[in-house]
Amino acid sequence: MHRTLRSKPWLSLLAFTAPALLLYTVFLLIPTIGGIYYSFTDWNGLFRHYNFVGFSNYVEAFASDSRFIYSLFYTLKYVVVIVVLQNAVGLSLAVLVESRMRAKSLFRTLFFMPNMFSVYISTLMWSFIFSTVLPQLAEKTILHFLDQPWLGSSSMAFVSILLVSVWQGAGYLMVIYIAALQGVPRDLQEAAIIDGATPMRKFVHVVLPMIMPAITVCVFLTLNGSFKIFEVVYALTGGGPGYSTEVIAFNIYQEGFARDLRYGYATAKSMILFLIILVITVVQVSVLKKREVEA
Amino acid sequence: MRSSRLAVSLLAALLLLAAAIFFLFPVLLALMNSLKTEGEMFKSVVQWPKTLHWENYRYVLTEVHILNNLYNTFVITLLSVGGIIVCSSLAGYKLSRTPGKFSAFIFFLFLSSMLIPFYSIMFTLIQMASRLHIQGSVYRLPLIYIGLGVNFAIFLYHGFVKSIPRELEESAQMDGCGQLQTFIRIIFPLLVPITVTIAILDILWVWNDFMLPLIMLTNYKSYTLVLLASTFFSQYSNEWSYILSILVLTSLPVILIYLLFQKYIVQGIADGAIKG
Repeated sequence: MHRTLRSKPWLSLLAFTAPALLLYTVFLLIPTIGGIYYSFTDWNGLFRHYNFVGFSNYVEAFASDSRFIYSLFYTLKYVVVIVVLQNAVGLSLAVLVESRMRAKSLFRTLFFMPNMFSVYISTLMWSFIFSTVLPQLAEKTILHFLDQPWLGSSSMAFVSILLVSVWQGAGYLMVIYIAALQGVPRDLQEAAIIDGATPMRKFVHVVLPMIMPAITVCVFLTLNGSFKIFEVVYALTGGGPGYSTEVIAFNIYQEGFARDLRYGYATAKSMILFLIILVITVVQVSVLKKREVEA
Repeated sequence: MRSSRLAVSLLAALLLLAAAIFFLFPVLLALMNSLKTEGEMFKSVVQWPKTLHWENYRYVLTEVHILNNLYNTFVITLLSVGGIIVCSSLAGYKLSRTPGKFSAFIFFLFLSSMLIPFYSIMFTLIQMASRLHIQGSVYRLPLIYIGLGVNFAIFLYHGFVKSIPRELEESAQMDGCGQLQTFIRIIFPLLVPITVTIAILDILWVWNDFMLPLIMLTNYKSYTLVLLASTFFSQYSNEWSYILSILVLTSLPVILIYLLFQKYIVQGIADGAIKG
């Protein structure tokens, strides 16, 4: 047995990779290929029988599904705002936490904590804040500006979704940025100060270029994650008011489970989502990679 | 010069304080108000409860079988993460050590799916799961998690193995150790740092996952903690004192784990991102 394995490296390779390869093929590869195939059919969750319909699902999504187009642009708007906001907050928290001598780990522990909760659970906590706490604070204290239709109007609901997303995700990025900041050589920073650079200039011209790899990773993570946002919308607004906060993932979920169980059509929409994520992240990584400098 | 530095430091402290309040207050308010009656909550949500009303918890605990949900979540997480670690350490090690086109092709096959959103496979996965009778079983659901989780873990192991010198395993094989034995005795102990990172990332993913249990665990008996919170929320739509108690109860395990291991968790997250 040992001898055959050693003399035939491909056999031992297969033996070591078999368990992973088997489960990966059954639960990810085949469903992916199946998904591509079914996106060209009128497959429906209710019936076994289905027909091949060519590109008509894709045509329908772009030509006559105004609700899908709306969710597409709504998600894009969310992605642009949240990628900037999340990274700005994450990096600022990292700089602030790193500037402390004491209590450094206390703050780090606190800001990362939301990542331990299920997104769904923490969104329900926020739902309590928006529906009960903030209205009461506006009524009974001097904080009258808190009297907002937090979930009731579409523009405020967007703000609420952003608040929950930042709360949920900024600590994760902060941890990565802290690790990057600790990797910036001390002597480089001191040299900049001796040369008379203000803290702001030092940060922009010395620190920022050095942590470019971390920025690439963090922007990639937020881009990839924010396109798939689902739980926050599902638990906070349910897509409402109306369908004004419906993101792509929620639209797909509704199409597949809540409306007509049109699995084939819903899968075609998810393939569109996949292509968008693929193109944007590939462009992002290749653009940002060029800006990285050697330490 | 000195006064301006003092001002900057003061500003930084104020900003930190504001951020701390923002990050703490939803959790703190949830905890406080889970110990109040509806009437007290109506009077003031921000006041500390005068007497601690544990009866919300008592009521919730008689209504649901939370230990059963805890057990389900624990079993699913344990089997999934254990399976991911075993399968991917074997595969990642071997793929990293075997040169050639075949090995490169398999590695590429694993990586090719990393960006695919869950929604693209969701409907065909349901079909596959019902054919294999996975729906509703906490012991079989981990198979799906392993299938979905191995690609990233293999990617991390693949990179890590490159830093381990080959001499160790060569000498072990000279001594007559089989390949599997060499892996278990020599290689796996050296993989502990990256294994910790993978375990942390995957425990957080599986334990807190919402979508896959939602579509796969169709009977009440197999519900995880997150699903319990979700059904409870839809049943008691506006009775916040009950909902908040269930939210606190379901979050308790992760908070305890976090307080005990936060150093490793934070380090693991940073390592995972930098190596990934």
